[in-house]
Amino acid sequence: MLMLVTIFLPLVAAGLMLFLDIRATPTRARWTALIATLATFFASLGLAGEFLRLPSAEGVARAPVQPRMELRHDWLTLERTDAEGNSQPMRLEFYLGVDGISITMIVLTTLLCVCGVLVSWTSITERAAEFFAILMVLETGLIGVFCAFDLVLFYVFFEFTLIPLFFLVGIWGGPLRRYAAGKFFVYTLAGSLITLLGLVSLVWQATLQTGLETPFSLPALSEALRSNPLPDSVQTALFLAIAAGFMVKVPLVPFHTWLPLAHVEAPTAGSVLLAGVLLKLGSYGFLRLLMPMLPSGCWDVGVPLIAVMSVVGIIYGSLCALAQDDIKKLVAYSSVAHLGFCMLGLFALNVEGISGGVLQMINHGLSTGALFCLVGMFYERYHTRSLSQLGGLATRLPRLATAMVLITFASIGLPGLNGFVGEILALMGMFDAQHEFGRVYAALGATGVVLGAWYMLAMLQTAFFGELKEPHHDDHAEPVQDLGFREIVTLAPLATLCVVIGLFPQPLLDIINPDVKALVTVLNNVSHPSTRATQAAAEDQSQFPATSSASFGIPADESVAVLHLVNPSPAQPRPANPGIGE
Amino acid sequence: MFDWLTKESVLWIVPAAPLVACLWIVVVNQFVGRQRAHRPLVVAMFISWLAAICLATTIVPEKFAKGDHGHGEESHGAADHDHAAGHEHADHEHADHEHAAPAEEKTPADETTPEETTDEDEEESGAENAAVADSAPPPMAAGAAGDAVPVHEESSYGGELPRGVTYPVGNHAVVKFVYQWMKVGKVDVAVTLRADAMSALMLVMVTSVSLLVAIFAGGYMHGDPGYPRFFAAMALFVFSMCMLVLAGNFLLMFVFWEAVGLCSYLLIGYWYKKPSAAAAAKKAFVVNRIGDFGFILGVFMVWVTFGTLDFETLFGNPAFIPQVLNGIDPAIITTICILLFIGAIGKSAQFPLHVWLPDAMEGPTPVSALIHAATMVTAGVYLVARCAPLFVLSQTALGFVAIIGAITALLAAFTALTQYDLKRVLAYSTVSQLGFMFMSLGAAAADPVHLMQPAVTFAMFHMFTHAFFKAVLFLSAGSVMHSMGDVIDMRRFSGLKKVMPVTHWTFLAGAAALAGLPLLSGFWSKDEILAVIWDADRVPGYGLFFGAILAVALLASLMTAFYTFRAYFLTFHGPERFPEEAGHHPHEAPPAMAWPLRILGVAALLVGAIAGPTHLYAHYLHHTPGLPVSEPHGLNYVMMAVSSIIAIAGVGFAWMVYGKADRKAYNVQERYSPAYELSLQGLHLDAVYQALVVRPMQALSELSETLDRLFVDKLVDAVGYLPGIFGSLVRPIQNGFLQSYALVMLLGLVIFVFGVLRAIAGM
Repeated sequence: MLMLVTIFLPLVAAGLMLFLDIRATPTRARWTALIATLATFFASLGLAGEFLRLPSAEGVARAPVQPRMELRHDWLTLERTDAEGNSQPMRLEFYLGVDGISITMIVLTTLLCVCGVLVSWTSITERAAEFFAILMVLETGLIGVFCAFDLVLFYVFFEFTLIPLFFLVGIWGGPLRRYAAGKFFVYTLAGSLITLLGLVSLVWQATLQTGLETPFSLPALSEALRSNPLPDSVQTALFLAIAAGFMVKVPLVPFHTWLPLAHVEAPTAGSVLLAGVLLKLGSYGFLRLLMPMLPSGCWDVGVPLIAVMSVVGIIYGSLCALAQDDIKKLVAYSSVAHLGFCMLGLFALNVEGISGGVLQMINHGLSTGALFCLVGMFYERYHTRSLSQLGGLATRLPRLATAMVLITFASIGLPGLNGFVGEILALMGMFDAQHEFGRVYAALGATGVVLGAWYMLAMLQTAFFGELKEPHHDDHAEPVQDLGFREIVTLAPLATLCVVIGLFPQPLLDIINPDVKALVTVLNNVSHPSTRATQAAAEDQSQFPATSSASFGIPADESVAVLHLVNPSPAQPRPANPGIGE
Repeated sequence: MFDWLTKESVLWIVPAAPLVACLWIVVVNQFVGRQRAHRPLVVAMFISWLAAICLATTIVPEKFAKGDHGHGEESHGAADHDHAAGHEHADHEHADHEHAAPAEEKTPADETTPEETTDEDEEESGAENAAVADSAPPPMAAGAAGDAVPVHEESSYGGELPRGVTYPVGNHAVVKFVYQWMKVGKVDVAVTLRADAMSALMLVMVTSVSLLVAIFAGGYMHGDPGYPRFFAAMALFVFSMCMLVLAGNFLLMFVFWEAVGLCSYLLIGYWYKKPSAAAAAKKAFVVNRIGDFGFILGVFMVWVTFGTLDFETLFGNPAFIPQVLNGIDPAIITTICILLFIGAIGKSAQFPLHVWLPDAMEGPTPVSALIHAATMVTAGVYLVARCAPLFVLSQTALGFVAIIGAITALLAAFTALTQYDLKRVLAYSTVSQLGFMFMSLGAAAADPVHLMQPAVTFAMFHMFTHAFFKAVLFLSAGSVMHSMGDVIDMRRFSGLKKVMPVTHWTFLAGAAALAGLPLLSGFWSKDEILAVIWDADRVPGYGLFFGAILAVALLASLMTAFYTFRAYFLTFHGPERFPEEAGHHPHEAPPAMAWPLRILGVAALLVGAIAGPTHLYAHYLHHTPGLPVSEPHGLNYVMMAVSSIIAIAGVGFAWMVYGKADRKAYNVQERYSPAYELSLQGLHLDAVYQALVVRPMQALSELSETLDRLFVDKLVDAVGYLPGIFGSLVRPIQNGFLQSYALVMLLGLVIFVFGVLRAIAGM
């Protein structure tokens, strides 16, 4: 029930605003929106509380993509006639659920929406009711994606988010808003259509494999594909198709060019949600669909392709950020780099890396969300974001500068703040990953840490330190004010979370861990292609002796790590996938 | 009542006190009593200092006793106790004999010599340590009998290990688990405090210097608008530094390694309105990050190699590392060591990453004294010393350390010769002295088995004395700056000895100690470094390499004495001159500044003499778990004589050029020459970096940006145009003219009919 409230409360509020109160004054509109988003936020907290009170999932062998709280209803049932002429039902369900990964993303979304409303408080005066209504529609779409456990529902929500954001950018954006909105929409849509093709054929292939009822619910689909895995070549093709939309969404270099443009033109709230949540839909798609459904595809093409793209993204994004004059664009490119870390972690395909990737999703949402809020705040004051026109603002805006320094350090991964835990886990995961270039990727990715410090601190130095330099005002009547109460309230939860997650990441890790572990189990059933051959050989010789550690005379735990070093391929045989080789 | 103090709880008081102070300043002093913000820090530092002393004198030694106890009633258990209590012994007499020992040895793998040597030692000098054994002790079960294992016996884990490495046996560390930080899959990192002999000594140094600097800063920063911000950052720094020292695993150490970097950033950029300060802060952080990049990769390598990051697991059991490494490519350990050392290069400002430290002098002077001279920059030395059990396995890495140390010591000393900014002289001097410490560590390369312990000991000892005399030098410079109205250019003032008597004497004390004048602190520690390099030089096969290093060290010592006294004479001698900024009547430092100066001045003179020749420091340090044990190492009289002569020569030379009464200091026009210019500009390294790193990176980033805008994005646009282009190709067909549609219909019909006819014809 709480789940339904969380998802649809914003939509209902938006509907009420649009249909009953379209002529509301900005004040009334923003208060309505604030109350609605806050209520949603508390509902999501309640949902999270309920989730945490569930009996512990520790020790229980869990299937991946298995919601721990669910709500399902038949939605639409179609008939399909199979090869023998029997009719099989195709049931599309209204299947909502949450697991550890999605609950964290839901809370992040609702929190950022509250921030989005607060940060638009004074900057949106034109058509305010519509603006806030669209913002809330977007919120529903985003939460919906994270809750959807039916393939069609997932895709519907996934695509649905484009529409409100299109209007947010296109109506309330900057001077190039139409171009930006159009590009953003068409680009991501084009990607998503390929994904759709991929998903349709995935379901089709799964049906062919099982020969039974067409599975549309994610747990059923993943179950079907686990017991009857697709051949490697099919997995590869499907991986590429489905990943297309997600790669654009994440975005991975070279599919990122819509992002800086959209960010620069979007209103602040739009940027906050775009960077904070919308980009995560891409990485969430990888987690939710590709990894459990197409594990060999992940190993065969995912690892080389996505890892290389992530590393390129980290370095290239940082370099582009370094050259920017527009702070918002700088932050946008830094998003490209950060999402590179996230994807690098995910495609380590081990527990550490995936946990790191998920943490990085949350952390990037918090710190980049806060950065966009801050950029919006001083844009409101100076009407420019150009670094060359600003300088020494710490003198004039000490509180804003303090917040900026804190968030900057969170963003560049200073230990003790949130960015670090995600990055370090992602890199450690990659360093220890089962593929031959894991260490190279990790080492190259780690250079992003240096570059990140460089461009972010250069931005701080130019804009906030040194001689005070303010852009020319027309009216010098009132000097620029430092952060007010509302703005502090906007930033405080984000900043607090940055510190808390940095110091105490374990509770968060405990929430996502069972699901990550389940996912990794599936991935480990099919390991890297290079090791599959040796594995098969080892099996022929009635198992590789797993006792070699005895000769070391040390506990088995350490010996495992040692063995990894000697030979990057795992010495302990993994349970072979029965599907392969058939 | 104070029972709890004697327990291990003292461990957390050391870092907790400054952390509480930091929070207190942020929460309370921000609003109330802004100008009294130094008080919480001073109080906290006092508590922290007491706790550190308590830790070093009672709690950690208690562990030594336990460790010894665990190993039976061997006679040297008692002897060890005596040493810990500070008994002097007859090391001096054995000096020659001991130095001969490594030289007698043909190769590190020679198996007979060490046994004889150490056996003799044990009997004659009453033994050095609890565990002077020749082979690495076999796994713990047989640990108690470790001493008796004959050297020829193949150790149970194969022959690839350096033989004859011995380690203190037993657990000599105090460990306190605070909370689980991260536990995912194979990553298991807890916040754990761990104190052993080495960290206890570090803590004593850190807290005592911090306490004095905090008191000094209370006077120095008086009236500054950012007063609470300054002390909050200082408190955060002391907390981070203590945690760095106490960190129980590599990742936690990395965390605080970066955290001290953050504090350094905040404090260098403290006067953020000065563009130079803001630039210096950024430079320091980014350059440090380059080092950290190496460090973190090293940590990853340790993690995948050993499966753990925990110091207790890695170093607590001396058999652990050799066991794991058995049969593994030795290049792995070299890689690990070099990567970790890259971290040290960044933090300890070694060539080529030393460029940030001179710029860091933009920060307030107490910061320079505490962070950029006494404590933070020595973290690199601490890291290498802490990882001695790893470095001992890689001669290549140690050789690399020695080379970097030597290059740095020489370059920085050369640069310091001509600087006019008093603080920059001291900064380069710090870089150079850190180079000495790394030279000492690297000297173990010649014979890691026997030289590692003295190398680590003397590097750490030099770090200890250096902290005191460099702190007093910086604080004296701060005092000069304070009364000269923030002018620090030595060309603009001179003859201050009458006006500022206290500062004059304290600076002189520090300078004399730094120059290594006989019997002062720097003398003892630097002499020992020279002695260990000398020993390395005498290992066959390494004569040339370490001969060169020794020559560099001696040359750098000479330069050190010269530039230190050059600064002294230029500042305190000659005619009295003040810059206008100083106002009418320059004044001596207020008591809050003068007293810490006096105490540090005395410490600078005496610390070395108290802890050096008596071997107090060395004996204490040797209880560090994992630190290889070798035969006792005494004083080297030859090197003492040489270094005394060099120091006196350097001072004398400085006096001839800058000090003689008839040479007015300000008249000394240092003649222009290419060498002079090279030194003044620090070998133009900043320009080199600009040309080789910064500009190419900027160019690359501009290129990426342009590429992104004009190629990647346009490619997407081009794909976007494709449907349009395709449409325009077929658009003419749909032109709306009935005639053309009719024509097409006709054509179609013709083709259709033709096809049908062909089919009918059966073709």
